[in-house]
Formats: sequence, C-alpha cells, structure tokens
Amino acid sequence: MSGPRLIVGPFNRVEGDLEVSLDVADGHVRAAFVNSPMYRGFERMLDGKAPSDALTLTPRICGICSISQSAAAARALAAAQGLSPTPQGARMAALIHAVENAADHLTHFHLFFMPDFTRPAYAARRWHTRTMDRFAAMAGSAQRTAVEARAELMHILGLMAGKWPHTLAIQPGGVTRTPTMRDKLRIQTTLRAFRRYLETTLYGGALEDFCALPDTPGLMRWTGGDVGLLLEIAADLDLAAMGRGAGRYLSFGAYPLDEGYGFARGLWDQGPKRLDTALIREDLSHAWMLGEAAHPAQGATFPDQDMRETAYSWCKAPRLAGVPMETGALARQVVDGHPLALDLARQGGVLARVAARLLELARTQILMEHLADTITPEAQFMSHGKPALNGEGEGLVEAARGALGHWIRIEGGRIANYQIIAPTTWNFSPRDAAGVPGPLEAALVGAVVEPDEDTPLAVQHIVRSFDPCMVCTVH
Amino acid sequence: MSQIETFYDVMRRQGITRRSFMKYCNLTAAALGLGPSFVPKIAHAMETKPRTPVIWIHGLECTCCSESFIRSAHPLAKDVVLSMISLDYDDTLMAAAGHQAEAALMDTIEKYKGNYILAVEGNPPLNEDGMYCIIGGKPFVEQLKMAAENAKAIISWGACASYGCVQAAAPNPTRATPVHKVILDKPIIKVPGCPPIAEVMTGVITYMLTFDRLPELDRQGRPAMFYSQRIHDKCYRRPHFDAGQFVEHWDDENARKGYCLYKMGCKGPTTYNACSTIRWNDGTSFPIQSGHGCIGCSEDGFWDQGGFYNRLTTINQFGVEANADRVGMVAAGVVGGAVVAHAAVSALKRAQKKTQDKVEG
Repeated sequence: MSGPRLIVGPFNRVEGDLEVSLDVADGHVRAAFVNSPMYRGFERMLDGKAPSDALTLTPRICGICSISQSAAAARALAAAQGLSPTPQGARMAALIHAVENAADHLTHFHLFFMPDFTRPAYAARRWHTRTMDRFAAMAGSAQRTAVEARAELMHILGLMAGKWPHTLAIQPGGVTRTPTMRDKLRIQTTLRAFRRYLETTLYGGALEDFCALPDTPGLMRWTGGDVGLLLEIAADLDLAAMGRGAGRYLSFGAYPLDEGYGFARGLWDQGPKRLDTALIREDLSHAWMLGEAAHPAQGATFPDQDMRETAYSWCKAPRLAGVPMETGALARQVVDGHPLALDLARQGGVLARVAARLLELARTQILMEHLADTITPEAQFMSHGKPALNGEGEGLVEAARGALGHWIRIEGGRIANYQIIAPTTWNFSPRDAAGVPGPLEAALVGAVVEPDEDTPLAVQHIVRSFDPCMVCTVH
Repeated sequence: MSQIETFYDVMRRQGITRRSFMKYCNLTAAALGLGPSFVPKIAHAMETKPRTPVIWIHGLECTCCSESFIRSAHPLAKDVVLSMISLDYDDTLMAAAGHQAEAALMDTIEKYKGNYILAVEGNPPLNEDGMYCIIGGKPFVEQLKMAAENAKAIISWGACASYGCVQAAAPNPTRATPVHKVILDKPIIKVPGCPPIAEVMTGVITYMLTFDRLPELDRQGRPAMFYSQRIHDKCYRRPHFDAGQFVEHWDDENARKGYCLYKMGCKGPTTYNACSTIRWNDGTSFPIQSGHGCIGCSEDGFWDQGGFYNRLTTINQFGVEANADRVGMVAAGVVGGAVVAHAAVSALKRAQKKTQDKVEG
C-alpha cells in the first residue's frame, strides 16, 4: 500500500537549493527522490574560453568551497600542460585548502547541523535547554564564538590568498604569494589560537586525545565541550542508526605533498580497494540532461529544456564501476584507515558522518600545524610552464564535502570541453538507468515520519549529515 | 497592534550592553566617514526609531555574499545587524525549514508591508520561464517580484544581483539577469563585488538602518562612499607602477619585491572598489597583496573580458583619470552590453588626451 507523497523543501541551512520527495508508508520513508532545482551552466560558459579563465570562473560555482574548486582547476590545468607545482608551492596550496575545509566543518557543525536539535519537538529532552543556549539559530553562544574563531582562522587566507571567498592564489605551478618569515610566524600564531579555541570550546580536551579514540564506544564516553553535547543527543536519539549508508566510500586523496597525501586516496567497499577514475560514468537517465552516460572527459552538459517526465533533477548520477559512492569526511577518514572512522562506518549513519567530520577537523588542525612548521620562505613557490595549446587534464581534490573532479580538454589554446563532478553530485545523485538510487536517496529509506510532520526531523538530520552543497552539485 | 521594537530594544534583548551600544554608534559613525558629532544622533535614532526589517533572499548564486557578510571585522556591528535581520527572514541561516520557512517569508512581507528592505543575493534566470532556479516549487523570479512589490528599497548584493556575474558569462545558458532589469519600480542599491567586502556590506546596511534612507549613490547606483575610487588609486604597489617596475612572471624576483602586477593582468586601474583601503578578511590583505592581480570583480562584465590574465591595453601611465561619477554619467547611455563602462570611457578620455598631447607636443 502506498502512502502519501511528501515534498520536503526548500531546505534552509544547506548551501543552495534542495527539494526531496518522499513516498511514505506506515510512518516510514519508503522511497526518496532528491531534486537539485538550480542550474547555471558553468560547463557551457567555459567552452571556448582561455584555459586559465577556469581558475577564476570555477571557484564562483560556490562561495563556500571556492578554494576546492580553484585547486581542482589548477590541477586539471597543470595536468594538461604536464606541470607540477613546486614542493613548497604544493605545501602552501595544501595549507590554504585545509583552512577552508576546516572552516567548512566548523560551519557545518554550528550553523547547519546542531540548530535542528533546538526545535520545539525536542523541548522535553533533558539536553534541550543547553542546546538552545548554545545553538539556537543565529543567537546561540556556541555559534557566535565559532563564527569568530572561523573568521580569525581565515586570516591565513587573507594573508596568503588575498581574499576569501573566491581566492585567486592557487595556480597550476603553485601559489602566487611567497611567504616571508613574518608570514610564517603569523600563520603559526593564528593556528595556535585556533587550537586553543577547539580544545577549550568545541572538544573540551586535547585534540591528540580525540584523534586517539579507538572506536565508537570510546567516542561515546567523550564528554568534553560541545562535542560532548552532540554525543549525549546522539545517544538519546540513536543518531547512529539513522540514515545508514551503503558502506561504499570514495576519496580522491586530500592535500598531495611530496611525502604523499595528507589523507589517502582510494576506495572502501568492505575493505580497501584501488581507485581507477577511468571507471567513472555520469548517468543521465533521471537527470534533465541530454546525451548518453559518459566518462566526464567525454561528457557534456546540455540541459533538457523540456524537463522530461522520466527525470526529476538537474543533477547527473555519477557512478564508479556502475555503483553509487558516498564521499565526504567519513569516506576520507575510512579510506585513510583511521580506526575510529572504520568503526563508525560499520553503522555509517548520521552519527558516523558528523563524528567523522569532527575527527577530521581535529586531524586537520594537526596537519595544518605541520604544514605551517615546514614552510621554507626562501624556496620557490611557483614552477613555470608554457600554457598548453592542446591537451587533456584531470584535476582531483578533496573538498570538505568530498571528492571533487575537474576534467579539461584544450584545443588550439582554448577550452574545448570542461566537466565537473562535485562531492554532492555523488552523494545526492538521482537514480541511474538501473533504477539504483543515489546515496542520500538510499539513506533516507526507513526514516521515521511522525503523523503530523510535514518536514520530518529524521529526514532533516539525515540530509544535513551529508553537509550538502547544492550550488556545487549542479553548476 | 503590537509596536515594532526600536533598534536599541533589539540590541538590549540580544544582551548587548549600553557601553557596547555606544561603541557601535562610534564605529558606525567612523565607518561612514561621519564626525564624532554624529554619534549622539545615531544613538538617538537607534533608541527611538522602530527598527527597519530586512528580508534576505537568494537566487542563482553561490552564497559568497553571505559568507563574506558573516565575517565582518567588527563582530559587534555584525551581531547587531544580524540580530536585526534574524527576526525576519534569511533562508541560509534561519532555524525554520521548508514550508514553515516560506510561511515565515509571507508573514514578514505582510507584517511589514512597504517598510522592509529587501536584500537580494544572486539573480533570477529567465530562460525556460525561470525553471533553472526553483524555490518552494516556484521560479525564483516570482519570489523576487513578490517580495519586491512591498519593499521600501532593494539592496543588490554582489556582482550577481548587480550585474549578472559569472553565471551570465557567454553564452549565459540560463539567461541570468540582474535584479534591476527585472524590478523596475523600486530604488535599488548595487553593492557589487564577488563577493563584496564584508565591511562594505555592513556599512551600507547600517547606514540604511540607522538613517532610514539610501546612501548617496554614484551614477551606476553604487554607494559613493565605497565605490568612488579605483583599486589603483590607493594600491600600495602604485609607486612601482609609476616607476615602471613590473612583475613579469609568478614568483620571479620582481614578484618577491612586490612590484606592480599590471603585466600579469591586474584590473586595478579600471576597477572601482575599496579593496586597497578596507582590505579583506578583517583588513589582513587583498588580492594584489597576495601577489595576484585584481580581476575587476566589482565591474560590470568582468567575467567576459577575454582572459583574466590578459593585460589591460587601454591604460596610460601617468594618465589623468575621471572619477567614477563623471565616467558613470557618460556611460549611462551604454549600460547593457557586456562592456566595462569605466574601461571604455577611460580609454576614450585617454585617446582624447593623447591627441591633446600630440597637439601640444
């Protein structure tokens, strides 16, 4: 027996526009359909432009992950012209990128995820008053300090990248600004202040202790800071079991340095697997896009202006070797083999995604400190190469929300094709030709819908646990 | 009928002390270039006038404007402004969700009819009847028109709302259209930039909330207090431009010495904005300081000028330049094409000057 169809959206407190249709039966979601209702056409704008314009245009896909986009564009261009950044250039680019990712995790926790627990429906819970004090939308005390700490952390971006969002500093050969010893000291000072904030307010304990947590039971015993509050809520509402994923994780590898990736590249499907990006296909069967399923290097983005009945989203459905993949902080930490993440992934629900993000934030702080300590101002920060007249390149990075890829083809010194797959394109993809739902669609199945709910709380928690970025998803 | 609170009431309710309030009035006066004698006036206005409600909506955009806004340098100013806005409607930050949120928007419009300021981030795409940006099942352009109908004034945040920005880049697949081409019958303040500087945003909104009127605008509709000078005019690398000392390649010796980035494609000489004075990220730096040229993101059409790294060919060293207003006046007739009006007109002036030079020489 099929119940009513519920349309949830527009979602606020997610980046961009999102609408989710739910088939509900017996108080549970039976099927979910995710729609990204905004399309701008960046790939078509890039056609025919100077390749270097991608460095300026693609960051403007998104004001929250702009550095990720610029880093991916820089890497795609570098690959097309056979150039590598200098070791110190790569190090500084990694630091700039890590600052943005850390800031994103902080924003997600404070401004996007936690305010849901201040809703009146939870008024009877013993943690409700404390959560109101800390996380009431735009008024909570935790939010204020987080926004301030974030703005101060971003002084590093001001210093090394001129401005944020829409930073211009990352180039195929490295970064435009050579730091001085004074810059290095300022970066280290800023990072020390950020650590102090994290340890006293967010975690209520040493970051190294949090990173050393071996498993989920250990995590649940953590009581410090606002993380402790989250865990208390998580235990009460059983967030661990809510919105469980399929357990297939993808990471393109974060922060490539000469000593290797900061967080490893690879796949996880009941065990570590090798990643071959040649196996990626973008399926268009349920997207308002014209053409056949193709690898992004051969792909195209032509919107179906008739918005045909059989499709329901502007979002394409990327698949790796034919299956959907979940990507994001949880995926990165699982692929990197962190024991806590591996244990969290056994359930792979709302708690796993949010806790993995917190784990990654702590680990990223430690990584940023290491990067800052190993800057050598006298080194070369940019390598030079001739812009490619013809060539192809793949630019893979890890944005806060997961695997981001740019694919460029240059002909006669102009962009002949440019395709982008963003993290949320993976996570919030519609069904593919075989009818297999995307990761969010699958995770929503079984979510509880109370009789009087028109925007079910469980659905909200699950959606936000992915930290979607809709403006990147469809661009 | 319930009275609308004053600004001061709102601040007190947010737990802001009298002392902080006075500090805020001081900061506001300073940010707006007003003397100390204005401080009591601002304080008095805020204690007695009902606050101005703000509705903040998002169209085709990337949220970079909101991102910039919440990192304003003076946490106090930002808190105050946010606390005013928070009472009304903003879909990125507010607590309510879904249809509840849409209902909140309708309520706010109804309650403050004719009294609120509509802040628009992003723009409406007009192709396919607006289907490329759907909010609550309806095209964004409809939400925009509806919200604009009863607004007192409109702020176009950023290059998207002001000019179209990158999503309007050729071939403009969705026909992304700036706000002033859709809403024709309301006063519109353009605050361009991609994104605009946080302090410019808070400055504009504070001015409007405090004085209940629009700031002085230049001919292009931008607040003159922030957009009357070129990046070039106050650029700390300007002496190197004048001395003919240029960066030739990224990270060359000249780059390390902080020479001028003109040859690397810097658009500072044709861009009107406050980056070189107010700077970014709490005044830490701005793009030129980080070794990358300005891309001119607060100018109309900056996204389609044939390569961001091509050098400007229309500037003359030691040239006499017109100010934004005079240029804008001449340019008023040509707005609409993807022409950077300033650049074109400045070039014309320079051509004239060259002729003069020739005659004189």
